[in-house]
Amino acid sequence: MKKIILILIATLPVISCNKMLNEEVRSQAPFDYLSTPAGFEDAVKGAYSSLRNFYATERGMSLTVFGTDTYTNGADGSFKFVNQYTGELDPRLSIIREIWNEFYIAINTCNTVIDMAPEVMGVSDLIKNRRIAEARFLRGHYLFILAQMFGPVPVPLKANRSVVIESTREPLDKVYATIISDLDFAILNLEIKPADFGRATKPAAEHLLSRVYLTKATSSAKAADDYTKSLDNAKKVINNYSFKLLPDFAKIFEQGSGEKNDEIIWSVQYTNDPRTNSSGNNAHVFFLMEYDVLPGMQRDVENGRPFKRFKPTSFTLDTLFKDRVNDTRYDKSFKTVFYSNNAATIPKNTNGTPKYKVGDTAIWLPGVELSASVVNSKPYAVYTPSKYTEKVYPSLIKFLDPLRADRTVFEGSRDYLAFRLAETYLIAAEAAMYSGDNTAAADFINAVRWRSARTSADPVQNTAYRVAMTVAAAQMDIDFILNERGRELLGEQDRWFDLVRTNKLLERVKKWNPQAGPNILAKHVLRPIPQDQIDRTSNTFSQNNGY
Amino acid sequence: MFFNVKILAQPYFCKRLQILCSTTKSVIIILLILMSSASVFSQISVSGKIRSSKDGSPIPSVSVTIKGSNVGTVTDPNGIFKLSVPDKNSVLLVTSQGFATQEITIGNNTSLDLTLEENIRKLDEVIVVGYGQQRRRDVTGAISSVSAKALSEVPVSSPSQALQGRVAGLYATTQGYRPGSDVTIRIRGSRSFSAGNDPLFVIDGIPISGGLNDINPSDIESMEVLKDASATAIYGSRGANGVIIVTTKRGKSGAPIVSYDAYYGIVKPLGQADIFDGAEFAEYKRESRRNSGKYLDSNKDSSDRRLFETVELASIAAGRSTDYQDRILTNGNQQSHQLGLSGGSDQTRYALSIGYYDEKGIIPIQNFTRYNMRINLDQNVGKRVRLGASILATHSIRKGFNVNVFDDALQENPLGVPYDSTGNLIFLPTNDGLRSNPLAELVDGANVDRNKRFRLLSSLYGEIEILKGLKYRLNFGPDLVQTRNGRFTGRLTNDRRGGDPTATTAEEFVWSYTIENILNYNKILNKVHSINLTGLYSVQTRERDSTGNGVQGVAIQEMEYSNLATAPLVTGVGSLYEKWTILSYMARINYSYNGKYLITLTGRADGSSRFAPGNKWGFFPSVAVAWNISNENFLSSSTLVSNLKLRASYGETGNTGINPYQTLGGLSRTTYAFDANAGYGYRPGIIPNPNLRWETTSSLNLGLDFGLFNNRVSGSIEVYRQNTHDLLLQRQLPLTSGFANVLENIGSTRNKGIELTLSTVNIQNTKSDGFTWSTDLNLAHNKEEIVDLYGGKQDDIGNTWFIGEPINVIYDYEKVGIWQTSDKDLATTYKQRVGQIRVRDVNNDNQITSTDRVIIGSTVPRLTGGLTNRIAYKNFDFSIFIFARFGGMINSGFHDNAWMQIQGRYNNLKIDYWTPNNPTNAYPRPDENSEVPVYRSTLRYFDGSFIKIRSINLGYTFSNELSQKIHLKDARFYITVQQPAIFSKYRQKYKGIDPEYPTVNTPATSLISFGINTKF
Repeated sequence: MKKIILILIATLPVISCNKMLNEEVRSQAPFDYLSTPAGFEDAVKGAYSSLRNFYATERGMSLTVFGTDTYTNGADGSFKFVNQYTGELDPRLSIIREIWNEFYIAINTCNTVIDMAPEVMGVSDLIKNRRIAEARFLRGHYLFILAQMFGPVPVPLKANRSVVIESTREPLDKVYATIISDLDFAILNLEIKPADFGRATKPAAEHLLSRVYLTKATSSAKAADDYTKSLDNAKKVINNYSFKLLPDFAKIFEQGSGEKNDEIIWSVQYTNDPRTNSSGNNAHVFFLMEYDVLPGMQRDVENGRPFKRFKPTSFTLDTLFKDRVNDTRYDKSFKTVFYSNNAATIPKNTNGTPKYKVGDTAIWLPGVELSASVVNSKPYAVYTPSKYTEKVYPSLIKFLDPLRADRTVFEGSRDYLAFRLAETYLIAAEAAMYSGDNTAAADFINAVRWRSARTSADPVQNTAYRVAMTVAAAQMDIDFILNERGRELLGEQDRWFDLVRTNKLLERVKKWNPQAGPNILAKHVLRPIPQDQIDRTSNTFSQNNGY
Repeated sequence: MFFNVKILAQPYFCKRLQILCSTTKSVIIILLILMSSASVFSQISVSGKIRSSKDGSPIPSVSVTIKGSNVGTVTDPNGIFKLSVPDKNSVLLVTSQGFATQEITIGNNTSLDLTLEENIRKLDEVIVVGYGQQRRRDVTGAISSVSAKALSEVPVSSPSQALQGRVAGLYATTQGYRPGSDVTIRIRGSRSFSAGNDPLFVIDGIPISGGLNDINPSDIESMEVLKDASATAIYGSRGANGVIIVTTKRGKSGAPIVSYDAYYGIVKPLGQADIFDGAEFAEYKRESRRNSGKYLDSNKDSSDRRLFETVELASIAAGRSTDYQDRILTNGNQQSHQLGLSGGSDQTRYALSIGYYDEKGIIPIQNFTRYNMRINLDQNVGKRVRLGASILATHSIRKGFNVNVFDDALQENPLGVPYDSTGNLIFLPTNDGLRSNPLAELVDGANVDRNKRFRLLSSLYGEIEILKGLKYRLNFGPDLVQTRNGRFTGRLTNDRRGGDPTATTAEEFVWSYTIENILNYNKILNKVHSINLTGLYSVQTRERDSTGNGVQGVAIQEMEYSNLATAPLVTGVGSLYEKWTILSYMARINYSYNGKYLITLTGRADGSSRFAPGNKWGFFPSVAVAWNISNENFLSSSTLVSNLKLRASYGETGNTGINPYQTLGGLSRTTYAFDANAGYGYRPGIIPNPNLRWETTSSLNLGLDFGLFNNRVSGSIEVYRQNTHDLLLQRQLPLTSGFANVLENIGSTRNKGIELTLSTVNIQNTKSDGFTWSTDLNLAHNKEEIVDLYGGKQDDIGNTWFIGEPINVIYDYEKVGIWQTSDKDLATTYKQRVGQIRVRDVNNDNQITSTDRVIIGSTVPRLTGGLTNRIAYKNFDFSIFIFARFGGMINSGFHDNAWMQIQGRYNNLKIDYWTPNNPTNAYPRPDENSEVPVYRSTLRYFDGSFIKIRSINLGYTFSNELSQKIHLKDARFYITVQQPAIFSKYRQKYKGIDPEYPTVNTPATSLISFGINTKF
């Protein structure tokens, strides 16, 4: 009897315990969640997050800012070879892989939103279409960047949640067809001013579409009406909404007010809350010279963390920004004076007294050569262009982030201004010029230039500045437009794309970028397909020529 | 007294007969008791006490018989016996399991005090196997034991450390020298990519998660390392990486024994990193500018003035150099105290202990304190039932573990000065924005890093003998672990560099339990067929619940992480819950024919919650056979061969070491914002894979145990092959699919190896205080290779997994030297400059691309081993333990770090760098414009061979008379030197510190300690 009881005790748990092998999920979200109204909304938000992988990051900037005519490498950084086009710029390049990977994850997220929408109960068709439109805007946007970097790329249009190891590069015309149909849908269904600032909007889609047509027009997928469509869309953005060019170039980039102003069509969102800011806007560090080790200086929040990654080429300083009299953009783009913030390292006179006080000028970059006597007469350090090094050069101040909590913060809070109206004008100018309407092109350009003309209380002088800034239809050619883009959009993550689009990358890099010029080859107008993609695909996945 | 023995013996006899009649031990006891009962006609009364030579403890149940008769007795629980012998010439034969037999002629001495030497013959030694015990002679699997004696030879903070170099095929790697560091243990190499390679730890029968760091080594009676499938298959799904069974000390019947063991030691850094001093640093910095053409030797003064800042110039002028390394490193100390009480009666046995361990590191803010308590109880209830418990409670506090000041000190510019003229710390000794004073990290309150851990690990059992030979046992093993980590980083630290202080807290509550129902049946048929059956049904569950918070801007530094609400900025919050369960059925049959032919069959079925329905259950069988050749007639009388046993086993074990919920797939959290409003989202994250199943290892093991010359030479040889298939592997996917990887069962690995364990008694002495010398040697060779991946023979270069190579290989460019001036043009072809690292252009295409990378080596050593020599003479004992590995490369993080930028910015390992006047091929020319030298990673690969003197131990055991004078039963005093020396090219030639820990963190240490073991 005892035996039987014991055996019963021993086996009792067997009956109840098999249930114990069921998994009870708490911390992990299941796929089903996406078909709920809240989950559907979350998937749309999920599709936005990848923007932060590209904009205002070292990877996005390294692939668009240097290796061009406007920027070369500074002293530091692991990706100087991206500027220099050496053999290290190969299919194993991490930053290329990271963008590729993140964007295809994002595209799958967009596809998930699009495919899931019909299953979601309790969301109105209006909202559903709006969310689909956002997803398609983002998909088009991600595909457009991929197409510009890699040429023909895979275009997944269905949500996937299984193991897929086949992948094919679609011809460029198919890639563009998808991008354009996505943006067309987005334009039809997006709001002009959604309640959530930062979501995709109708004008943002139009701006992007005008850029897409402009780019397509010089690609192998070009069509005769590309420039017309580019111009049409750009004009819609310029004319149909309340966007305005700000009267003061500097105000565009002013933090706080500057992140939400009349010129901004669409920006990538960053915040000052570490919980919602991911890795933050990092653009504030890359363009700065090494001021913090110089006499009288130390690192502070206002002057920023000087990573000295990107150094302006002499072409930028001497040619693009040659006019510093009429055009205020040199003054408003570069930092040329540093005021002492460190009493301990202020140089001393022979009698032991400090040469200057905290708050006085410690470093001056006059931007022009000065005679030795002038330089020597200054108590502070003077760096004329001939003294520029990979560590000392004019710092681009557009992205400075003085509102960071402290000087060590890398995760900046300012929004990244991805689309702004000045660029719409410049797109319109390029489209008009290629359409043969140089007058219209000059008008668009002048609109942008006039706002940066120096102003004076004296109306005569004021007019003189404005006249000096005015360009004529006869001056319109692609080199001028590229130069204008260089002045207006310096550092704004589009230069490499601009040069490739206009077939000027090799010419201008050879001419103006001494570190890159000797190495750049025809193959460099496309980035290498990440080796991982090739290695992991079961079918043959072709590499771009030359890599 | 004699009467007493009988009284004690009778119930003891009955009980033993019922419960343990299968063991030889009880048979012997029974016989002895019967004999003692018959000895009433004796004439001289002799009494005595028998104690162990090892620890002086009384030995109960020792048989004392009159040679040539069947008259005798056994000792009582206090080791005392009384016997009547016929005359003075009677010879007493003193025998006990596990001890050397002694013969004593009575003479006039009627009061004997004897000590028994532990027997070198270990065949009758009982070792712990899974779910039971076996005599060594009956074991069919590959099992190595580490005794309490070996454990106590090296004062260590954790039991895992004590395993280093002790067991052939077990490789324990130091995880650092910060107080509270543990070691990683690999048994017979690595075989898994993602399911983990840690062995399973079983403490007092209960399988546990998370290493042995909570256990006080002095509480351990023995550790058994189960290596082959025959031994581990009974742990089924968790046995693939081997099993380590830890048994804690239990009470024995007898008078209470109070023990006190303690040691105190001084911890010293075992050398320092060889870095540039001030003058050398200055020259190195100059060279980095000469390289860029900015330092002109033609005008050295003005060049110096332009290059160096004021403090640097002053230091150069004064020949001043700050040795930050020296300033942060100090002597630490270790102390351990353990107070124990054990004893018991027939019915109740107990062992209690409390312990205190404290280690102060060689970097002042790093220390570790552990408080232990252990209660082991065994209680008989009636004749058939036994109940017991072992309860281990641990509370530990680890401080400063995550603060790496050593790294800071190595990088800091030696031309700066740490203090101003008034003695105040200068936070930024130089203008470099990234370098703050390393000494600032050590300021009280600047860095608070506390890891508090509490654990209550219990094993409760009840055992009932249902029928003769049939026992049922219920084990319940609850295990509670609670940890709380707090970190505060003050304003004046390198992390914050003047920014607002940050604080984080993390808490975790882990609740696991194991319930085991074990049925055991023993039977001997016709005196030759010995059968043992074991059946098991068990449930194991582990539930983990954790939370964490982070803030920035704590109001008052003294609040540390204890008032997060005062901070304006929340940088992160998080929590997690996970749970898994394993259900198991196991059956084992041990059969032995006449002690000669042994067979063990095991089968275990495991069901894991971590796999999807349909794949939850796995079955793991094994078979093992052994042949005790020395028991055969043709060898039984051999004087040469005293033991010879051949073993063979084959079996399968599993590995379930994946995280819960992996089969279900799921979403990943994303972070975005719209304006200032949170825009958290979800996106597809993990592909569901309901087909995941167990990773299975099938092992074949051949073993030979041998003993020669009356076991003066003994040991074993093991040869094995392990094939692991269905490897749980993160298969890398083309990202165009929307996913980076998916966990799948793809691929196989193979481990082959040979192990030798050899013990010799080089000098034997029959006198207990004579000179003896014995040696233990273990050697192991293991070869790992990947057999296939993704069902094919294609390498996965992205993961550096290659068919035919071990899992961990070094795949990189191969450094051939430095570009020399004579090769300037060639260097230009490669877009490189003279003075930079030159790597091999494998395919000779005049450019270096990723296809020029080669397999440089693997981190798997060719041979590992340990050698212990023990010498005893009179009351002294001496041992020296050497631990070595040969072959295999190390991937030295020490040589690929911020302080190896060779940029002329931070201080650097004192390297032989290239200059036009020093055309070395060792290290590249410093370059101020290069944050990381091109191909720097090629500088980090070294031969990992080393020989370490792990410990030298000298002990003195007080004689009985002396002990008694100071009212002790037993006393031993010892002095130990731990890791006094490391011999390795890596250390002596390449300036590394410890090839076992090639990392820039708290460096290797040496320990000199003094200790006592007492009993009273």
